[in-house]
Amino acid sequence: MHFALTETQTELKAAARRYLSDRYPADRIARLAAAGAGGAHHTAHDTEGWAELERQGWLDEDLGMVELALLAEEGGRALHPAPWWPTAGLAVPVYQAARSERPGPATLADGTSTCRAEPVARGARRGAGDCAGGWLLDGMVGCVVDPQVAAEILVAARTAGGVALFGVPPYGHGVALTGRAGIDPLRALAGVELTKAPARLLVGAAEAGRLLAAIADRSTVLLACEAVGVADRALEMAVDHAKTREQFGRPIGSYQAVAHLLAESYAELELARSLTYRAACLLDDVRHGRVDGAGSALACAVHAGRRAAVQVCEAAIQVCAGIGVTWEFPLHRWYRRALWIDAYAAGRPDPLTTIAEAVLG
Amino acid sequence: MRLGDSEDQARFRAQLRGWLRAHVPPAQSGAPRVWEAEELRSWSKALWHAGYAGITWPGEHGGRGLSPAYQAIYAEESALAEAPDHVNVIGLNMVGPTIVRYGTQQQRARHLPRILSGETIFCQGFSEPDAGSDLASVRTRARQHPGGYQLDGEKVWSSYAHLADYCLLLARTNPDAPKHRGLTCFLLDMNVPGVQVRPLRQLSGDNDFNQIILTGVVIPASSVLGEVGDGWRVALTTLAHERGTFGITLTARLSVQLDRLVQTAIAVGAERDPVVRREIAELHVALHGLRFTGYRALAALERTGEPGPESSVLKLRWSQANQRLSALALRLLGAKGTIDGPTAFWGGYWQHMRLRARANSIEGGTSEILRSIIAERVLGLPRGRS
Repeated sequence: MHFALTETQTELKAAARRYLSDRYPADRIARLAAAGAGGAHHTAHDTEGWAELERQGWLDEDLGMVELALLAEEGGRALHPAPWWPTAGLAVPVYQAARSERPGPATLADGTSTCRAEPVARGARRGAGDCAGGWLLDGMVGCVVDPQVAAEILVAARTAGGVALFGVPPYGHGVALTGRAGIDPLRALAGVELTKAPARLLVGAAEAGRLLAAIADRSTVLLACEAVGVADRALEMAVDHAKTREQFGRPIGSYQAVAHLLAESYAELELARSLTYRAACLLDDVRHGRVDGAGSALACAVHAGRRAAVQVCEAAIQVCAGIGVTWEFPLHRWYRRALWIDAYAAGRPDPLTTIAEAVLG
Repeated sequence: MRLGDSEDQARFRAQLRGWLRAHVPPAQSGAPRVWEAEELRSWSKALWHAGYAGITWPGEHGGRGLSPAYQAIYAEESALAEAPDHVNVIGLNMVGPTIVRYGTQQQRARHLPRILSGETIFCQGFSEPDAGSDLASVRTRARQHPGGYQLDGEKVWSSYAHLADYCLLLARTNPDAPKHRGLTCFLLDMNVPGVQVRPLRQLSGDNDFNQIILTGVVIPASSVLGEVGDGWRVALTTLAHERGTFGITLTARLSVQLDRLVQTAIAVGAERDPVVRREIAELHVALHGLRFTGYRALAALERTGEPGPESSVLKLRWSQANQRLSALALRLLGAKGTIDGPTAFWGGYWQHMRLRARANSIEGGTSEILRSIIAERVLGLPRGRS
């Protein structure tokens, strides 16, 4: 057991933090969020940053889960305004399985129960697994992360042979995106409507089911890591404020009522961080066939990460008090992300239910 | 970063497991067994013979010279196997390493081998009625006396004092010096005249803490540990050793308690109750959060010799989890929770735990002190007291 980051991992984390804090100071995040708050046709992303991410290796296919976890955590700390999570968390494994070049940032629309795919050549209906030609997709997926800035939307859709994975260009024929104002403008969701949209087959029905399950594990763990980063930054803001803000002639952080709230926030954060690192290690072990199944361990990370993000942000707002509830103070941007993660993950199997099943049967 | 033992650690763990299986009576379902004083003493000797005493002590002082990870494996496996506590846990984990660091040749030769073998049991005489969280205000006096010192005062919350042969005592040698500087540590022979041990009965009814009354106790100058006036630093060293792998022990015990809670839920037919399932799942998250935070702290200890800052949350959050767990367990019994004693569920085990757990957030540093330590030393907030 050596449950500590290796030197290389520590360096990776530090480099990611340097890059993100140089490029995205809190006031820039606020400006980007304001631009994105317009909804449908605006995006809060710094689209110019993508090439740099690719160059720095943020999307390398050989990154281990712990490395990805650290990048997700730093991304949460910075509210990284790039479609890194949908690309690295959701899309990269699909391109890997398909042995296909990724055209740029990408996202995944889970149309397992709402989209269907038909081969172009009518009358020659074959299973998705053995049809290399063109396909047409029909259906609607209500909540897709960042499709507006993706180079390709991956769609899980039903075929005669089962669910398979396809790629469609976001602004191609038969694809309509409906952007929505979101609680977190830095990560808006959009509806994707497909009407005989031409698509390329990436992963056939034989493999897609297992792959989608692996993607669900990987992406929820990365979101939990991001949540830890959100909590980390919120705590840092609150601690900075408590050190400098004076009332009754003393910094407010010297009052135990304030100090102890922050100490409990720290405890919440560190316990969650340990669980996300453990989940990441475990997913690496699963990938290398060293263990099978990690359900309740992943659920621990998801539950603790979400809760830490929300609770620490709320404690931080309380400590920052009057200034903390203003629009100008940047803290609400992180709180919004915490609420986004909490709500988004709520659509998945409830982690406490998963754990109770593992413990009590 | 990796989960799982190194090859050598795995070997150590497997051997230890085998040894524990052969030497600890199999855990009964339900309440754990209670160990008699004699059983505890012979357990300590058995550990010594098997090489599980002084795992991290330097080889030159009779230990195995292994890293804290091995001590952590011992702590974990021993708690999971429901082995008794080492009756000399204070001697082995706290006093011994302090004697290695500050003791004279004579003190080392006299005490270290006997601590390891379980012949000399140590207790600790730190807290006093007026020196709890504010430990540096101890009032027990050590006055110069021909050939040594005369001790007068009262110590409280001393575990194992009723069994102990020696006490690591913190006393005031210079009442005129600033409060942290007038203190000295002593190795006190508990059998000299004037030392009186009285049980301190807790709200749970337990007698496992003691009061030590010192009245005109005369001890030789050779019992001073470290320098005269340097007692605060020596005491802090002792307390730092307690922090090392203690979090791992606590977590492993919590894991055993969670198993008992699950057994109880099943025994009373509450295991399908959605509220109970949710609470148990939350305790499971708390347990594993503590477990992996303990491993992180241990990895930092292995690398730097100091447990990482995250170790500061372990005891704070362990006490909360253990209290919550005990409360849920008693609640599961419903109205039967009002009955106590031999006819109660598991002989009143949960009734006892529910009461005993209140001390968890007080003993070994109150939660209030622990939060202040996190706030000041980890988060760097300004000190709240002058």
